[in-house]
Amino acid sequence: MTETTADITIRIAEIMINELKLEDVTPENFDPDMDLVDEVGIDSMDLATVALVVQDEYGIRIDEDDYPKLTTIRLIAQYVQERM
Amino acid sequence: MKTVSSLLDKEWYKRYRAISRLNIRSSIYDVTNRCNLRCRGCFFFSSSEDRVAKEEMDLQKWEAFIDREKERGVNLAILIGGEPTLCLDRVEAFYRRLPTFCATNGLIRLPRDRFPDLMVGISLWGDEEDERLLRGRDTFSISSRNYEGDPHAYYLYTITPRQIGKTERIVRRIRDAGLKLHMQLLSNDEGVDQFFWTDEELVGIRAEMDHMLDSYPETVVSSRYYHQIITTGKMFGRRFGWDECPSVTEPLDRRDPRPRRLTGFIRWASDLRTMHRCCTSETRDCSTCKDGAAHMSWVMVNKRAHIRTEQDLKNWVEVYEMFAKLYRFIPW
Ligand code: SF4
Ligand code: SF4
Repeated sequence: MTETTADITIRIAEIMINELKLEDVTPENFDPDMDLVDEVGIDSMDLATVALVVQDEYGIRIDEDDYPKLTTIRLIAQYVQERM
Repeated sequence: MKTVSSLLDKEWYKRYRAISRLNIRSSIYDVTNRCNLRCRGCFFFSSSEDRVAKEEMDLQKWEAFIDREKERGVNLAILIGGEPTLCLDRVEAFYRRLPTFCATNGLIRLPRDRFPDLMVGISLWGDEEDERLLRGRDTFSISSRNYEGDPHAYYLYTITPRQIGKTERIVRRIRDAGLKLHMQLLSNDEGVDQFFWTDEELVGIRAEMDHMLDSYPETVVSSRYYHQIITTGKMFGRRFGWDECPSVTEPLDRRDPRPRRLTGFIRWASDLRTMHRCCTSETRDCSTCKDGAAHMSWVMVNKRAHIRTEQDLKNWVEVYEMFAKLYRFIPW
């Protein structure tokens, strides 16, 4: 079954919540357009942690040079979908 | 979920955004094994790091090495030694390629026509008496002449327990020379008069550092939270030391679990091959280490831990800003 961008968005939110131990948020109510750096406060080390899991799960490669572009969950989901 | 903008007002949020994407990736380079001083308590010589690696003399090899470092993602080269100003060609090779900071004892003036805006940190170990005792001469009288009014230089004032109650005079002398300063504490394992920071002294020096910052905000580049962290060695109940230190050379870091750390950080010896364990000497005891940069970095890499209350996040912003100012990522 092909995954839709919406499925991937929810799954990325879930990975992010689990890996970074974010509190008081669920994959469903995590605003996919919220800026991860300016609002959630993640840094490149956090993104690298999340990227490792995402890479394994979707069998894709996330180039470190692309990190600065991956500023929301929606953008990460789109990035993943384009490479699947 | 607590967000940054829900904790900060408009002005602080702007300050946060000015630093949130800097993504500073530093590494430290021993530019040379030689020095024109022999300070008692210098971690480099007291732990014989000058004899660990044979200094690379070929400038082209330095240039190729720095190019590789740049490719590796380093965007801040911190030059230490020995005394980097003894090898200006190597300093220039870094300066032409990377944002660079140069630590020096200030005895040799960096020619500003060659290095117009290179950030320079001049070491100072106290007043004339302390300097003569620990370093064999009063370096301030020379370094303050060499760098008077220089907008790209500041003093790295290392405080020992001998200086409790004496810091104000030093701060004023630096201010009168038209310079700024950043305070750090001497770690107590370097054989200087066998001193040891007692808990009482640390409480005392913290209050004095706070007082200097409040009284001379134009001169002192610091933050109260940094004073708290470096004097208590604690952050949210966690204790600074080997298990938490962010400034361990990455390829040598076998810690498991690995703490939050500086991405890609390496301290290179002057043979351009040997790596040192961390930003200071391997012989230092992590449980009493007071390294200022390591403590600042400890706060910086733990950003999300500070997204708890307004004050916690402001503390984080102030420490990050302080680091970014000291290394010229943002203006004073
Ligand atoms: S000036 Fe610096 S490198 Fe030279 S001996 Fe003193 S502390 Fe060590
Ligand atoms: S000596 Fe200090 S800087 Fe070095 S690893 Fe230990 S705690 Fe970190």
